[in-house]
Amino acid sequence: MKKFDVIIIGGGHNGLVASSYLAKKGKKVLVIEKNEHVGGLAEYANSLNCISPIIKKELNINIHNIKDTDYIISLEDNQNHTILEDKNGKLSFVKTNADEDDQKTFLSIINNYKLFSKTLGSFMYQKPPRVKSGKRSDLFQLMSMGWKIRKLGKKNMRELLRVIGLNIADDLEDNLNNDNLKGLLSHESVLGSNLGPRSPGSILTLLYKQAINENIFNLKKIEVTNYINQLEDCCKKNTVEIIKSSEVRKIVTKNNSVTGIQLNNNEVIESTCVMSNADPKTTYLNLLGAEILDTDFIRRIKNFRNKGNVAKLELVLENEINIKNIDKKMYGKFIYAPNIKYIEHAFNANKYNHYSKNPCLEFYVNDNTLSANIYYVPYLINASHQENEIIEKCVAVLSKFIPDMKIRKQELITPNQMEEKYNISGGHWHHGDLEIDQLLMMRPFYGSSQYSTPVNGLYLCSAGTHPGGGLTGINGLNAAKKIIEDSK
Amino acid sequence: MNTEKISYKKPLLETPFHKRTSEHCYANDWYRWAGYKVAKEYSSTELEYTSMRNTAGVIDITPMHKYEIKGKDAKKFINKLITKNITNIQSNQVAYGIWCNEDGMVIDDGTIFCLNENHYRIFCAERNLNWFCDTATGFNVTIEDISSSIAALAFQGPLSCKILNLLKVENIENLKPFHFDNYKLENQNVTISRTGFSGDLGYEIWCDPSQAIDVWDSLFKFNRDYKVLAAGMNSLEMVRIEAGFIQPNADFMSAEQALRPNRMRNPYELGLGWLVNLDKEYFTGKQALIRHKEKGPEKKLVGLDVEGDKPAVGSVLYDNSKKNIAKEIGIVTAAMWSPVLKSNIAIGFVNKEYYKLGSNVYAEIYHPEELDYRKIWAECKVVKKQFFNNPRRNAIPAFI
Repeated sequence: MKKFDVIIIGGGHNGLVASSYLAKKGKKVLVIEKNEHVGGLAEYANSLNCISPIIKKELNINIHNIKDTDYIISLEDNQNHTILEDKNGKLSFVKTNADEDDQKTFLSIINNYKLFSKTLGSFMYQKPPRVKSGKRSDLFQLMSMGWKIRKLGKKNMRELLRVIGLNIADDLEDNLNNDNLKGLLSHESVLGSNLGPRSPGSILTLLYKQAINENIFNLKKIEVTNYINQLEDCCKKNTVEIIKSSEVRKIVTKNNSVTGIQLNNNEVIESTCVMSNADPKTTYLNLLGAEILDTDFIRRIKNFRNKGNVAKLELVLENEINIKNIDKKMYGKFIYAPNIKYIEHAFNANKYNHYSKNPCLEFYVNDNTLSANIYYVPYLINASHQENEIIEKCVAVLSKFIPDMKIRKQELITPNQMEEKYNISGGHWHHGDLEIDQLLMMRPFYGSSQYSTPVNGLYLCSAGTHPGGGLTGINGLNAAKKIIEDSK
Repeated sequence: MNTEKISYKKPLLETPFHKRTSEHCYANDWYRWAGYKVAKEYSSTELEYTSMRNTAGVIDITPMHKYEIKGKDAKKFINKLITKNITNIQSNQVAYGIWCNEDGMVIDDGTIFCLNENHYRIFCAERNLNWFCDTATGFNVTIEDISSSIAALAFQGPLSCKILNLLKVENIENLKPFHFDNYKLENQNVTISRTGFSGDLGYEIWCDPSQAIDVWDSLFKFNRDYKVLAAGMNSLEMVRIEAGFIQPNADFMSAEQALRPNRMRNPYELGLGWLVNLDKEYFTGKQALIRHKEKGPEKKLVGLDVEGDKPAVGSVLYDNSKKNIAKEIGIVTAAMWSPVLKSNIAIGFVNKEYYKLGSNVYAEIYHPEELDYRKIWAECKVVKKQFFNNPRRNAIPAFI
């Protein structure tokens, strides 16, 4: 029987990054993927972007943004849409009904947020420090984090510390008058998280997402399939073995140390080091088994908030899509979140595990196809949604802007279906909410930070670890580095 | 407004024995225990204590928390929960165990009754349902709080077996310590276990709440010859100190309830290291306990033989006979004058330099005397916690 230095469970992009890196460093690596092709959730993303430059350099990945200029269109019921132009990260208004003061304030708020997220961004690429480890490197890192915040200057530091726990609605209502602009920023802050505009910490979520994406509106698009293919090639070049269409049933342990994995066909593959690209809950409760974990630790696993609430709708229409009142060359990212109240009301349903009757949307159009992210459509435990009703509600919103919709094909992916297809418990984009208690050294939770686990030889590299989701690849890279460091 | 719905206006619950306990409770002095009221003192604590040490005392322990563990993985679950290995436990056997959190700090102790391979009951002082349920994740077991469906009496004292024998409880004298069985007590089906907190011969009687009054009455049936008394919580506290049994949230803070991390205690500090089996494949806190054992306890709960006759309640312990240069090295958690041992005893924590048996420490006793405190500097000798341990406790057949 073959023996491997490292077995990676799941061929998502973080798994591929980690395996390439480990193989480059001379480890014998095996990747086991459940589906027929690798890439995992990456194929689901329709606006991804933010592969870290470090990864590009280390793994020789050659990938470019599709477009340099893009538009953000915030739709309004009265057809007075706001259009923003993004030219290489520089924002300007093309059309709006907001007055000049508001426009100026809006851009300065964004600039402010940009500054703060740059500070946060500098923590992204490192492994987060462990507070009580007693190691000098951790202490040094913690101090440098503090120093970076202090370096913002007295005024900005105060402002950062003021907004870091604040909800986005309060900050926007203090500064802006135009409802549409407020809705637009609130949308960016709550999309993909379990928060409403008035939930505490929604600014932090925005800053954090911005730090990962290096852009508040998350526009840089890449060919995801191209990226995954390059990663797979990189793996092959470095003699990583990839087994597809094969599912891991269990991580085998003895005396609190990993000894290998067991596949669904009962085959056992031995290795003293296993890295899981599955989300933390699946890894601990299904693959490892709660029986060998401490009760306090089980509590923290169970309390990890990973309820997804965004559904994806793919529509194919009979004829080309024309959006009312908008020039075709300005098509870009469409957002329907007209004001804070509307989003907050949509969020109310989510609190009671219902889908929003008046959902918020973010969509892209291409000829006669439309692909939308719909929220809030919460993940349901032991239940399923009336999918047709959700589609109906979305179409009702869309038909305000697209006259004569004749639908040829429709497909809805709810968080529940996402869970099933990609094996992500909770069906959450980021494997877990990006909130203050689930970030940095607390991601996914205390006792499991820095990509390690209580079990010797078991590591995590999924989006459930620092710095979270968003196709950065940092999770995989940092986890691989951790393994190399530990094996020294 | 319906005041019944306001929780603080709801009266404390009454146990199934309340009709009798309230008749006996001349002092009308009640103690609050897990939402129930039980007697603190019926008429005189000393008399009740004396009955437990000379004839037998009856204590209502119904409020004790009782959990039923059922299922294929019941034994595996308990082995994960507690620090001791119960793989070899037999039906009708009782095990004493403690459970710790991930830092190896003690949460609670309890007795585990094995009804059969897949059916256990755990009796403990604090609420633990939440902890048990979280521990059971991944095991095929059901856990149910059955506290209110079982009435329980502790029947403790040298004549307890004799009286049960007179009540024609068949073969009760051959029940081994830490065992239980089903018996007929005056036509009532009851479960009797040879367990208890008195350090002497004693039993615990478990029955359906509907039988409670009959069971209570039968225990007092031979009172003309053998003066059995209902005993309250105060007298129970006396016998448990003499027996050297420790109590969560009195001698140590339960790790689930302590707010300050340095108030939690590991089994080695409590002198319960013998209950920890580190060879067992897995249980909660194992990794931490390995470290604790290696390091050795910083302080330890010990018995203290205190000079004089003034109980050292709440005393601070010092290292030197000279008060002005003495350093604090510990604290007393429970203390009393023991009538049966005729000595002044205490249980307390001392630092690691002093926990060897025979070490001398000094207690500063504040003894209240008619609205004034007398400060006494008393020498104490570190001794075993088990002050009172009568051979009757483990004798088979039991003393009739």
